[in-house]
Order: sequence, then structure tokens, then C-alpha cells
Amino acid sequence: MLKNQTRRLLIWLLFWTGLLTNLPVAYAHGEKALEPFIRTRTIQWFDVQWSEPNVSVNDEVVVTGKFHVAEDWPVSVPKPDASFLNISVPGPVMIRTERYLNGQPWVNSVALQPGADYDFKVVLKARFPGRFHIHPFFNLKDAGPVMGPGQWINIGGNAADFTNRITTLNGDVIDMESYGLVNGAIWHGLWFAIGLGWLLWWVRHPLFLPRYKLMAAGREDILVTNQDRTLAKVILVAVPVIVLSASAITQSRHPNSIPLQTALDRIEPLAQEVNTLVKVKVSKAEYRVSARSMILTAEIRNNSLSPIRIGEFSTAGLRFLNSDIEMPMPKAADPLTINDSLHVSDKTPIAPGETRTLTFDATDANWKNEKLDGLINDSDSRLGGLLFFYGEDGSRLIASISAAVLPRFN
Amino acid sequence: MASNLSDINIQPYSGEKARLSRTFDYLILVLAFFLFIGAFHLHVALTVGDWDFWQDWKDRQWWPLVTPLMMITFPAAVQSLLWQHFRLPLGATLCISCLLIGTWITRIFAYHYWNFFPVNMVLPSTMLPSALVLDVILMLTNSVTYTAILGGSAFALLFYPSNWPIFGMFHETIEMGGSQLTVADLFGFQYIRAGMPEYLRIIERGTLRTYGQVATPLSAFFSAMLCTLMYSLWWNIGRWLATVRYLKNI
Repeated sequence: MLKNQTRRLLIWLLFWTGLLTNLPVAYAHGEKALEPFIRTRTIQWFDVQWSEPNVSVNDEVVVTGKFHVAEDWPVSVPKPDASFLNISVPGPVMIRTERYLNGQPWVNSVALQPGADYDFKVVLKARFPGRFHIHPFFNLKDAGPVMGPGQWINIGGNAADFTNRITTLNGDVIDMESYGLVNGAIWHGLWFAIGLGWLLWWVRHPLFLPRYKLMAAGREDILVTNQDRTLAKVILVAVPVIVLSASAITQSRHPNSIPLQTALDRIEPLAQEVNTLVKVKVSKAEYRVSARSMILTAEIRNNSLSPIRIGEFSTAGLRFLNSDIEMPMPKAADPLTINDSLHVSDKTPIAPGETRTLTFDATDANWKNEKLDGLINDSDSRLGGLLFFYGEDGSRLIASISAAVLPRFN
Repeated sequence: MASNLSDINIQPYSGEKARLSRTFDYLILVLAFFLFIGAFHLHVALTVGDWDFWQDWKDRQWWPLVTPLMMITFPAAVQSLLWQHFRLPLGATLCISCLLIGTWITRIFAYHYWNFFPVNMVLPSTMLPSALVLDVILMLTNSVTYTAILGGSAFALLFYPSNWPIFGMFHETIEMGGSQLTVADLFGFQYIRAGMPEYLRIIERGTLRTYGQVATPLSAFFSAMLCTLMYSLWWNIGRWLATVRYLKNI
């Protein structure tokens, strides 16, 4: 009997140990959680670049890039009146020391304009050693986080070496890692000691049963003594005196202190880069479920002075590349940048001034892996993205497109 | 009057019974300690939440309004039980002490060691001065009405000045990108919180504006008024939900 129980216990122990040791490590940041119509038709990222990915504690990492705010903003998502460019990191393993939007310093949230283009730069400083997958992303008020392209960053060195000193307007140099900590601990310790003294004052006597019996016997008068009352009166006077005096002293030490700052930043968009010399009107979009293929038919008008061809379709971090076109490629291999995944029906360039209807498909399993195929089951089944055209002279034109998507199941 | 219970004439227990009674005291205290650390801490985390978690949420309008209002709850209920049945004026101090122990444990282990935030960015606020005053007002007045009005008001009014010596220095100004910020704001900008964009901060918002450009006293007095009501409500919740029926059988 005992043997059987021991064996059963061992089997359970082995089962749970095996299960727990084989748990996969989660690296994602919920970037696939948001509905595809939000990920493809709100913030459309492009040209996102990272500086050196191998750094040491205290080194800088710089992220730069651009984004287009989609014209076809989903009706169910509030307009981007308060938006915050954030960095997805597992806690502040890096700190953000600078951030710029269109070259302007940018601290708080900002209102973005649908249809407009922006460029950004974020300067990070490595704080904690490790290997971290990091994305720039937008927190959109009342909508959620829209992720940009990610990058692995390796931070070496020792966390204890990290420094973050800043200078206040008074000229004092302070260490952000420890500023005010000892002072806070002392005040908490002081009040905790006084509170503990008050508790011990009562706990030193018998408590619940005797006091309850005395209350029941109508002898509550002897449960609070004159000594107790005297101590209470001292506390009633001393505590407010200490509090108000300390507050006044603090105020005199920091006469130039100000309230927390809450203003939204106001930053105008860049000169338009998207939807300028090429106009694209999508007339049909089908998603072939079994082939993981998005097939788009669009009327394209080339208003530029150079013949152009479609080189890339980018949506929600996925980049479908046309291998027939030479274009700048990312430095590091990225599983979301897929070569030879964009196929165009007519490979001849669209001449300047010409309007042509083309069919092209963006085909890859990442439609499913990235949970973008959920679009066909959403309340809003419209897809958005950026279509990149390349001229024979190497020039690039970008169009933001959107269309309702029809599913095809065979 | 006798100075302590061992000197008084009406001593219900002696010898082994007295020893067991004392053991019972310690048992209840230890249970209460862990109960209040867990329950009150959870209550404050869910209701005061970010205002207590982060330096850059401790504004002059909502922080002194919300924090006392949500922190007077458990103290009022526990005072109700301990004062009505045991004449023990320590309910508020006990609750707030337990809360602070739980809060410090969380800030150090969860926020600092687990999530890498510097401890000074997540310093908790203290309500112990307010709690002490609330306890002694209940004891000296022996009146729920007076305690609700005077104690509840003092609980709220003492909050901001109690905490200003801890947090005042975080309101020193720095220059960032051509505009002034507080050191507290800089914490929010530099130490990245992926789930906490700047616009989520509920600071300096709403129609509770300044009076002659002074905001905090307006919030503090509004909080004082609400605390008198909240105290009465939670006193009665304590009265309705706590029972000593099992003690009657001992």
C-alpha cells in the first residue's frame, strides 16, 4: 500500500518536474494580441533601424525610424489624440534618455494626425545585463499598443556599474538610482517606530478574552486608564506638530519645487513622404486561407518622372519583398522580412503618367503565424499597409493602401 | 483606576487560563497581521494603485484625494470591532502598519528585484501619522460621530503634509528638451514602463481646479469631507460583518 503511494507520488513529482523544466520561455510582448485591423490600419512603420545591438551597461542604443498614420483609421478606434511612443522592454533594463519626433525633443504624449508622416529617434542607455528583445511601439489612448519592428539587444557588463546622474535647475547633481531613498526610508522608519510603540503599548496587556469579559461585565471604565489618555493626548498634539513642522521645513528646503507636469506635446507632421507621387486605389482584396496568400488588385497611377515597380508590401511589421527588385535590405536577418514573397502579375515598369491595374500577392505562412489571418473573422475586415515602389534610378515612392478583405477557403 | 489589567479587581482569568488567554491573543495577532498585510494591501493596490506605486503619479489633486479615502476603509472597520468589543484603540495603526509592511515587501521584491525599478521610484506613501491620530481621537472621544468628523478629517488633512518630507525633493525641477520637469516626471520618462504610457496618468485632471492657484488644500478638504462619510460607512461594515459570537461560549 505504502509502496504504491510512494510510487504514485514519485510519478507525479517526475511529471510536474518535467513539465516545469520544459516550459518554453516567452519572448513576446503581446504584439499579436491586438486585432489585425488595428495593427495594419493605425501606425504604419517603415525604415526602422537600430544602432549596434551588442552593448555594455551605460552604453547607448539608438532607434530611429518613420511611421505613417493611416488615413483609413478604424472607426472603432479613438482618434490618436494622445499617443506615446514607448519601448517594449521587460522592465527598465534600459532607460530612455532622449526621444525626438520630427527632430523635436518629445517628453509627453502627442496628438497624431491621420494621413501624416513622422520620423522618430529614441536614445536608450543600457542598465541591466542580459539578452532582450526590444520593440518601439505606440501606446494609443483607448486602443492599445501597436508594435513596431523588434531587435535583439545583448547587454554585457555589470548592473552595479550603471550610473544615471542628472543636474537639476538649481545646479545640484543627483543620482536617479538612489535620490531620496535614504530620506524616504528614514521617515517611514520613524513613523513605523512610533506606530509600533503605540501597538506595543496595548499589546503588552492581556487583550481579547479578558477585555471582552470586562466589557460584558460593564467594566469598560477600567480598560482605558489615565496613563493611556495622557499618552493619547501627547500623540494628538505631537503628531500634527511633527507633521506640519517637517512639511514646512521641507518646503523651505525646496522653495522652487513644482507640480508634476502634464501638458501634451504639440509636434507638426513632416513634409509628406507617403501618398505623394503615386496614387493607389485597391479595387479587390482576397485572402486565400489555404495558401496564406493575400491577393490584391489595384489601380496605380505613377505621377513621378521615373518608371516604377512594386518592391515591397509592408503591414503590421511583416515585410513582403519582391525579389525582382533591387532595394536596400536590412543589415540583420529578420524572420518578418520575407524575400520573394511578393509576386506581381505584370513585371514591366509603370511609366511616368501611366495608370495601370495590377494584381499582386503577398504570400507567406506569417499571415497565420503573426495572427493577421484573424482579419477575416473580425468585426472590421479591412486591411491596411504600405506599398513601396522603386524607380529605375533607385528612388522610392510609398503609398498607404487599404481595402476590405474577402476570404477564399480553397 | 488601575494602571493595567493585572492590577484590577475584575480579572476573569488566572493561572493556566490566563496563559491560554494570552496565547490566544498572540494567535489572533499573528493571523490579523497576515490577513491585513494581504487583504488591505490588495484593497489599496486595486483602489489607490498607481497613485501609490509611482513617483510620477503623486500629484497635488488626485493623490491626496484618493489615497486617504481608500485607506480609511479597513481602519474604520477594524476600529469598529476592536473598540466596540474590546476597547482597543489600535485598529487604524494596526491596519496601516500591516499595509506598509506588505507594501515595502512588494516594492523591494516585486518592483525592484523582479522588475528592475529603482526603489526610490516606487516609494510608498505613509498614512501612519493619520492612523495614530484617528486611533487616539476614537479613544479620547469614545464617539463614532466625533471620530468620523474629527478623526476622518484629520486622517485626510494630515496626509499631504505627512508625505511632503518624503516626496517634496522629487518635485525639484530639471530641464529636458527645453521644458521644465520634476525629478518625479523624469523617472516616468526614463525608467520605461511598457504598460504605463504618460497619458494614462490621472493627474491634475477634472473640474477640481485650483483656488487662487493652490490645489492641494482644496483636494485635502474635499477628501476630509468624503473621509467622514467613508469612515461611517466602513465602521458600519465592520459592525455588520464582524462577530464575537464565539467568544460568548468561552
